[in-house]
Amino acid sequence: MLTLTIDNQTISIPAGKTILEAAEALGIMVPHFCYHKELGAVGSCRMCAVTVHTGPMPGVKMACLIAVEDGMVVTTGDETVATFRERVGEWLMLNHPHDCPVCDEGGECQLQEMTISSGHGIRRYQGGKGTYTNQDLGPFIAQEMNRCIQCYRCARTYKDYCGGRDFGVMGSRNRVFFGRFKDGMLESDFSGNLVDLCPTGVFTDRTFRFKSRAWDLEQADSVCPQCGVGCATIPGGRLRELQRVRSGDNPLVNTTFICDRGRFGSGYANHPERPRQARQEDQVVSVPAALTALETQIRATVKQHGPEAVLLVGSDRASLETNWLLQRTAKHFGCRVPVLNAHRQRHQTAQMAAFDLSERLASLQDIRSSDLVLVCGVDPLAEAPLLALALRQAVRKGGRVVLYDPRPVELPCDADRVAVSPLALQELLADGGVEGRHLRDLLSQAKNPMIVAGADLLGLAGLQNIQKWAEKTSNKERPCLVYPVLAGPNSFGTALLSLPEQDDLLTRLASGKVKMLVCVDADPLLEAPEGERFAAALTRLEQLVVLDYLPTSLSRHANLFIPTCPPVEDSGTFINNEGRLRRFQRVLKPGLSLARTAPGEHPPREFSLDTPGSDPQPAVLLLQRLIGQEQPLTEVHRQLVLEQPRLAALVSLKAGEAGVRVAPAVARPHSLDPLPEQPAQTLELVVTPARYGGDLFSRYAPKLEPRKRPPCFYLHPDELQAHGLKDGDAAVVETDFGSFTLPVRSQPDMALGCVLVENSEAFPQLIPGAGLGYCVISAGGANE
Amino acid sequence: MSQTTQLLFKNRVPGKTVFFKDFCANGGYQGLKTAIQTMSPLEIRDLVKAAALRGRGGAGFPTGVKWGFFPADKPGIKYLVCNCDEMEPGTYKDGVLLGADPHQLVEGMILSAFALQTQVGYIFIRYAYEKQAENLRRAIAEATQAGYLGKNILGSGFDFELHVHGSAGRYILGEETALLNGLEGIRPNPRLKPPFPAVRGLFGQPTTVNNVETIANIPHIVTGGAQWFKDLALTPDGSGTKLFGLSGHLNRTECFELPVGISLREVIETYGQGMWKNKQFKACLPGGASTPFLTREHLDVALDFASLEKIGSRFGTAGVTAFDDDTCMVAVTLNLIRFFARESCGWCTPCRDGLTMVRWILEMLESGQGTPEHLEMLKDQLKNISGKSFCALAEGAMGPVAGLLTHFEQEIVDHIKGGRCPFSK
Amino acid sequence: MTTIESQTTSHLLDQHILADFIQHAGEIEHPREMIIDVLRAIQLHHGWVPDDGVELTAAILGLTPVEVEEIATFYDKIFRRPVGRFVIHLCDSVCCWTRGADEIAAHLQKTLNIEFGQTTADGLFTLLPSCCLGCCGIAPAVMIKQQFYGPLTPEKVDELIATLRQEGSA
Ligand SMILES: Cc1cc2nc3c(=O)[nH]c(=O)nc-3n(C[C@H](O)[C@H](O)[C@H](O)COP(=O)(O)O)c2cc1C
Ligand code: SF4
Ligand code: FES
Repeated sequence: MLTLTIDNQTISIPAGKTILEAAEALGIMVPHFCYHKELGAVGSCRMCAVTVHTGPMPGVKMACLIAVEDGMVVTTGDETVATFRERVGEWLMLNHPHDCPVCDEGGECQLQEMTISSGHGIRRYQGGKGTYTNQDLGPFIAQEMNRCIQCYRCARTYKDYCGGRDFGVMGSRNRVFFGRFKDGMLESDFSGNLVDLCPTGVFTDRTFRFKSRAWDLEQADSVCPQCGVGCATIPGGRLRELQRVRSGDNPLVNTTFICDRGRFGSGYANHPERPRQARQEDQVVSVPAALTALETQIRATVKQHGPEAVLLVGSDRASLETNWLLQRTAKHFGCRVPVLNAHRQRHQTAQMAAFDLSERLASLQDIRSSDLVLVCGVDPLAEAPLLALALRQAVRKGGRVVLYDPRPVELPCDADRVAVSPLALQELLADGGVEGRHLRDLLSQAKNPMIVAGADLLGLAGLQNIQKWAEKTSNKERPCLVYPVLAGPNSFGTALLSLPEQDDLLTRLASGKVKMLVCVDADPLLEAPEGERFAAALTRLEQLVVLDYLPTSLSRHANLFIPTCPPVEDSGTFINNEGRLRRFQRVLKPGLSLARTAPGEHPPREFSLDTPGSDPQPAVLLLQRLIGQEQPLTEVHRQLVLEQPRLAALVSLKAGEAGVRVAPAVARPHSLDPLPEQPAQTLELVVTPARYGGDLFSRYAPKLEPRKRPPCFYLHPDELQAHGLKDGDAAVVETDFGSFTLPVRSQPDMALGCVLVENSEAFPQLIPGAGLGYCVISAGGANE
Repeated sequence: MSQTTQLLFKNRVPGKTVFFKDFCANGGYQGLKTAIQTMSPLEIRDLVKAAALRGRGGAGFPTGVKWGFFPADKPGIKYLVCNCDEMEPGTYKDGVLLGADPHQLVEGMILSAFALQTQVGYIFIRYAYEKQAENLRRAIAEATQAGYLGKNILGSGFDFELHVHGSAGRYILGEETALLNGLEGIRPNPRLKPPFPAVRGLFGQPTTVNNVETIANIPHIVTGGAQWFKDLALTPDGSGTKLFGLSGHLNRTECFELPVGISLREVIETYGQGMWKNKQFKACLPGGASTPFLTREHLDVALDFASLEKIGSRFGTAGVTAFDDDTCMVAVTLNLIRFFARESCGWCTPCRDGLTMVRWILEMLESGQGTPEHLEMLKDQLKNISGKSFCALAEGAMGPVAGLLTHFEQEIVDHIKGGRCPFSK
Repeated sequence: MTTIESQTTSHLLDQHILADFIQHAGEIEHPREMIIDVLRAIQLHHGWVPDDGVELTAAILGLTPVEVEEIATFYDKIFRRPVGRFVIHLCDSVCCWTRGADEIAAHLQKTLNIEFGQTTADGLFTLLPSCCLGCCGIAPAVMIKQQFYGPLTPEKVDELIATLRQEGSA
């Protein structure tokens, strides 16, 4: 610890911190622009000047650049630096337009704040101003270059931090331009961060343009529900419309960055097809009436057919509270335990993470500072985009990424990529031979080794081997940590809650004893493989009840339907991949947006007490009413913790905080099944989520359409040739889940022996994580 | 005009370029041979330190001290980079040297590389010096042919390869870290220091950057010895000779090799042969566009680094640009500021926008629209830009402004009072 | 890399030079350091660097176009817009200014009937201001095709323009 004095206040702070950070810790705000805590200091804006009175070269210094020293004496408000900062403010404003009243950044403009805090107020410069021609950067980002103050943050965000290569700095002197080579959609999957990082109104959210002024927004700390990373977000809405999402700040998870899928993929909340009314057999009913009907039916069914007859189903996109209340509800009505995740294999791997790996879970923060990350069976950009950014930061700091996967995995950083088929990868993990030994040696020798394990591709057996690898390569000085990539925002939580006696959905349905199925924020048709068998089982049910907020197909088949709320209209908890409890808070109340009820016009002049479309209620509330126990969330948490001591942190958890890890559990012994033989003449089938449209939320996000790719099969060019196919030919692929006709594409970066297909709305039946699968491909169908 | 010792220009014949044969005939590569066979790298570095050679690229940093920081014994690839960007107005000595005698530099590069134990060298040369670049390529080919470059030079086991790297304009490339970025093919903004190039330079490896003239001096120091080299200067603080590029309102605007410490008067009157069109000397830039003006009262000052620093100016590159008494110093300063503002790399605010502001203030003053507030603003800008920019470009840009305000404030006042430039006809 | 060598690039680079660049880029550790060389070669061949010249450079060096554009737009001797056959770089820095560069500038603009930054209608001359050319000893000076002319007088400018016109029409 070093002790220094800033503005007559003394502070002790670890070595390596800068004067700016020390001042901040004392609550002294030194104006700054180019410095950003994640992007670091580059010293270009010169706004953060302070006077250092000690050392061999005292004088004006940039607070962001100078490391603290013991005994240092610093002033931040003396005449010299105060005047200088005022000048910097003046210089930055030379070319800046005076359009604050109409500027999209108004209300959250750092330039405005910093200019005022620098003390600059009156324009003295009367010379000419520079102007620029803007570029069309696609549907997500609007550019207004005249507002630029050349802090270079955008380029540092897009290129340096996110690894994008289609954006740059052009020109020089006072004619510097930040943009693309030519007009066109920004290619990076993290392009939206430009909006958050630009301190002024140059890069703004085009999808949010002209919708609201920032100060009119309803905003709250939330958690992105679109994958298992669990990034901090701050959604903002107005007039009952979710209008934008920006990144929150969670230093342990996503820092201040989120991916474009999370940012622009929130259209599900206001989707025109979102079901907003309760229905019983095609008749609209009130929510209380529907609840009464549900209660009556459950009681009657249990009474008539016994505890097996009513099956409650939760999901990994439902909150911890919802899933727990499902268990409560089952108990209340005397039903057997609910199925909390319809996807059997995913549930098993999530349990592996929640129990066996829970002692050695890595956070994204750990990964960012790892010197060796072995990535197995993960396509980060598709399955956990912020993981890709974390890997990039590791590489930027000199770390190495080694990646084994059948897919042509793109990463925003250098990596040693090895394309292997899923079966070969399983073999490698199981026994490994020379290569496996080599990898384990690498892990053993690393200072900070991490293994990222894709639960979908590796399955239970793969994760068990990963656990062994991690154990073997850990030593007393340092563990080898594991980051499991799970599918849903709450896969971990769902797995942690589930009880040993929970069978999987199909087994339960196959018993023939289930008469009534109640799916709460869950759609097994879209969220579990073997959809055909499930669909067949559905026809044998007497009652299908669905409570959901997405317009999924299942809700249309329901005998009884009750609308619920997505996370932005609810408060609750998710547990992310790293076992971290993350609280989200309600941003908006449910209701049809004014944009829908009065498109472009004056709101309707009829008055009523009801908000149109406000029937949906959070599932937690509905379940509480169903069992007649309405309680505040705090009480729910108290009871939950009594049952699940590992969740002790739940009670004091707050939205906007970094979140607390669940207490670890003891790993269980495993016996490993031998790997299955591959049937002759088949290729391995690799089903992977599409980067856009793979997760259920982004299917109902119209803004993401421009990023979606047309469906096709990918094969290695050698494989294409072996099957007498060429790029663009139509082909038929026969799988266990049916046969599909699509064009084939040649993909030299993928593994041999595989057919790759993306799960998206085009292929709802093909769901990742179903285990090793095989298929037969042949030419056929109509050519493109 | 007395004959002074010629080292760098000893082979020079105006209008001709000396190549291998003539260069060797006049003692070329002797220094290299002796040194590589009889001296250790450390001995050479110590010799250069003892010779008190100061960098000829403008900043005047003692070369021996800089080399002392270089991790010569660290294994792995290290680079020696020669700075021939030379784009500061009034500075053209390196161009003249390489036009006359490219082997001087090549020999110096090999010797310096040996002293610093660098395996790869680059000569970064400005766009306009295509002729000089051709000379260098030929000289390198000849030296390679003779076994002075390449593998196992003169049987010493030392390897050195040397490349010529072109540019495409922009003064900032002369700043050593911007130059390294330019060499790498990334945007040539200056880099943050520390880490200094000696620690992390070209492609992240230890690198030394030196000026053409600095490096060309090394063989002479090796052959003549440190004390001899020091004694070439006329002042005890000085050391060696210096190439003076004369320009502006002088009768003779040529480049001369003169002893360090020569008086300004001698340079102007003897070598410049007095003022052009029989006018009076009013002021000069002593060492390139970024050095504060000297005036008539400074005519007897000795031109070396220490003496000029003492009177608030800098020796810089010894490019002496003289102005006669019909010259408006506000206009001179405006011309210089226009240059610097146009050559700003655009990285830091004081330079990118501050110089724009200074240019505007000077435009107002020069055009007679200035007010006393503009004068105050100018003083204020000087105070706030100097010493506060990211690299030395903006710092240098304010050199002439400082000179203007120190010596010619009255001239600004006359502009304001008269509402016009008193020198305009 | 063979796809880079095609008919569509022959207007940008001599195909032998292109092949050399491709080979060299494959051999060295940091192909990026060749950006300026490739851009200058394209400019020499084509007169200026059009968009496809930037794209070609990127393809040769394994970069994206914007990564090349970042460099191309920084340097003032790379032209990203069409220029005349002779680009006249007139030095406007202090040494030339003291020796009458303003007068030469006015004379050039009048003779060529263009302003700075413009090209004559016949496509022969483009007039650009330049920072110090290193010709301080022969001020005022211009640079044309990396050749220097100075000290200039209006008469010498007339002669120079006449010679270049002749060369241009030959
Ligand atoms: C804006 C700027 C331009 C410079 N231009 C040159 C130049 O053209 N040639 C040069 O040798 N040094 C130039 N320098 C100085 C170099 O940064 C560096 O100090 C020098 O090359 C070191 O060599 P020396 O110690 O041998 O002088 C420049 C510095 C700045 C800040
Ligand atoms: S002072 Fe700043 S803007 Fe100017 S050249 Fe140096 S870094 Fe670039
Ligand atoms: S914040 Fe320190 S220089 Fe910009």
